[in-house]
Amino acid sequence: MTQTPVLRIEGMTKRYGQKEVLRDASLSVNEGQLKILIGPSGGGKSTLLQCINFLVTPDAGRVWLKGEEIVRTQKKVLYEYRQKLGMIFQDFNLFDHLTALHNVTIGLVRVKGMSKQDARDKAVYELERVGLKDHISKYPAQLSGGQKQRVSIARALAMDPEVMLLDEPTSALDPELISEVLTVIENLRANGMTMVMSTHHMGFAREVADEIVFLEDGHILEVGTPDKIFLNAECDRTRAFCSKILELYGSA
Amino acid sequence: MEEVLFIQHDVIPALWRGMIVSVELIIPSALCGLLIGIVIGVSRVFGNAFLKTLANTYVAIFRGFPLVVQLFIWYFGLPHLGIYLSPYVASVLGFSLCSGAYHSEYVRGALLSIKRGQLLAAQSLGFTKMKMIASVVLPQAFRRALPGCGNEIIYLIKYSSLAYMITCIELTGEGKIIASETFKYTEIFLIVGIVYLLLTSVASWVLHRIENRLRLPGFDNYGL
Amino acid sequence: MPGVGDHVVDMTESFIAIRDALPYLLHGSMVTIGLVCGAMLLGLALGIVLAVGHVYGGQVIRSVVGVYVWFFRGVPLLVLLFLFYFGLFSFLNINLSAFTVAALVLGLISAAYQSQIFRGAILSLPEGQFKAARALGMSDRKSICYIILPQALRLSIPAWSNEYSIVLKDSAVAYALGVMEMMARAHFVASRTYEHFPLYFTAGVMFLILTYLGTRGLGFLEKKVRIPGYAR
Repeated sequence: MTQTPVLRIEGMTKRYGQKEVLRDASLSVNEGQLKILIGPSGGGKSTLLQCINFLVTPDAGRVWLKGEEIVRTQKKVLYEYRQKLGMIFQDFNLFDHLTALHNVTIGLVRVKGMSKQDARDKAVYELERVGLKDHISKYPAQLSGGQKQRVSIARALAMDPEVMLLDEPTSALDPELISEVLTVIENLRANGMTMVMSTHHMGFAREVADEIVFLEDGHILEVGTPDKIFLNAECDRTRAFCSKILELYGSA
Repeated sequence: MEEVLFIQHDVIPALWRGMIVSVELIIPSALCGLLIGIVIGVSRVFGNAFLKTLANTYVAIFRGFPLVVQLFIWYFGLPHLGIYLSPYVASVLGFSLCSGAYHSEYVRGALLSIKRGQLLAAQSLGFTKMKMIASVVLPQAFRRALPGCGNEIIYLIKYSSLAYMITCIELTGEGKIIASETFKYTEIFLIVGIVYLLLTSVASWVLHRIENRLRLPGFDNYGL
Repeated sequence: MPGVGDHVVDMTESFIAIRDALPYLLHGSMVTIGLVCGAMLLGLALGIVLAVGHVYGGQVIRSVVGVYVWFFRGVPLLVLLFLFYFGLFSFLNINLSAFTVAALVLGLISAAYQSQIFRGAILSLPEGQFKAARALGMSDRKSICYIILPQALRLSIPAWSNEYSIVLKDSAVAYALGVMEMMARAHFVASRTYEHFPLYFTAGVMFLILTYLGTRGLGFLEKKVRIPGYAR
């Protein structure tokens, strides 16, 4: 069975000065798949995710969305491509001067050219979906971390993305707020959203991921099902990382 | 050829003369202004209620009135009270009093940044208030106030051109005279502008040197 | 030299002079306000462009902005007024009123200072704001207009208020070109009534009042546009 992957990247490479933070990373994501990137901090997870939508300009590498290659030097193509990828940041990056509602509508109005009323309706719908109906007129500084992250998810969803990229969406959150964000992500997956996510939550990764990607020192060392990666990893480094994590946090 | 001779024989000597006057305005004004700023700044922090009010009023007026208004008061207004000043003296007086008010802001800020522990330590050593201010507080505050005061001196260099408005013929004035005689306004005022740019650039270079000279190791980080 | 007794008489005469001149001076305050508003708005528009160029522009744009700022911050206002009014504009055969030239020059200088205010504010914003805007598919221009500037301008209000009080005081130099603003009018009346001191003092107090009103207004604006819960 061959299926065109929704998102395919090949040979992604990024250097900062002498340091190579990403080396020849390739990945393909199928419709409805949840891919989870794991690996030590500074291993290149965040760089990889930000290279995918060219927030970080890679030194080499190609990207296809639904079989079509993205030429990032063409501004119009780039901007349209970014609309189709929803991005969730570790530290939310909500627009501080806008209410939750306007954080969601601004992309619809200014980028998609939607009318203000339509944008508002859609934004309210998306904010309800992430359980923030009562907070739509609050400003980011008036929201908790978990609420902020859910607003940012609503902001990304409102653009009707083909793929969501989530860069450690829970690592800036207090422990008691993590589950509210993970629940939203699980719901997205249940509804068939295609996602690439980096996280340190091994339990979550094991439970819901279709495939786990292990990254270390900018290399993709191993790709496989959660069971394979956590119980039967081929690569020594993967095994070492997983057992260390298991030791630290108990059940994986 | 005529142009060159004109510049050589008329423009350069006149502007040179003007620049000397400008420098003669700037240096005493900067020194007096700094002195006034220190006195006023110290009064605003350590003075009694009366002195504080007096100093604060001084600053409000001399920072709030445009410098031109102040210069006019000294030059055209004082004769009203029977005091006649030459344009040069009126200018230096005006510049000193005005920039003193600005300096006092930086001095005050610097004094307030000195930690209370420093004062307690000095008092416990038996310093009188005056001695404490002179030998403990000022040497530290001086370094803190230097960047702000330095900036103020750069401003003074530019504002010294306003002396022309009360007929003290300095660089701008000489430029105006030559330009009016020859109608070469653009060229002459460009040259005048460049001379001011040079003066401000040299001053900021010197001030930087002084700042570096006086830097105490680690002082910026934890106030010694 | 007048004796002490004369001054007692002078005082009432001074008040009469001030009273008579007040409507004329108030009319001058309109001219001053016009100068300052024109200059601040030109400075705002040009300052934003310069700041954006300084932060996001390429090497060439950055150098151009750098030279602009260096020139207009380093040359005295009076010299620039003379340069533009008697020099540049008549050289180019452009006929502008003294008022227009004064507002223009004050604005060009203020733009240099304002650009530094805005630049600082833009640089103080977290990098993630721009990234998030790009991630939504916004072009750089849209990101700057809708995300960066609305935040940076809010942060700039206190410094802008300070810049206002400087431009207000500097506007008195426009007298050198014969613009009939407050200072010029005070001098005009003073040289006829010989009540120099009281009239200059009145003009000074009027400048103080305008400073106070302006900074109060901007303080009000700052509160009005403050982002709820946002502390800096």
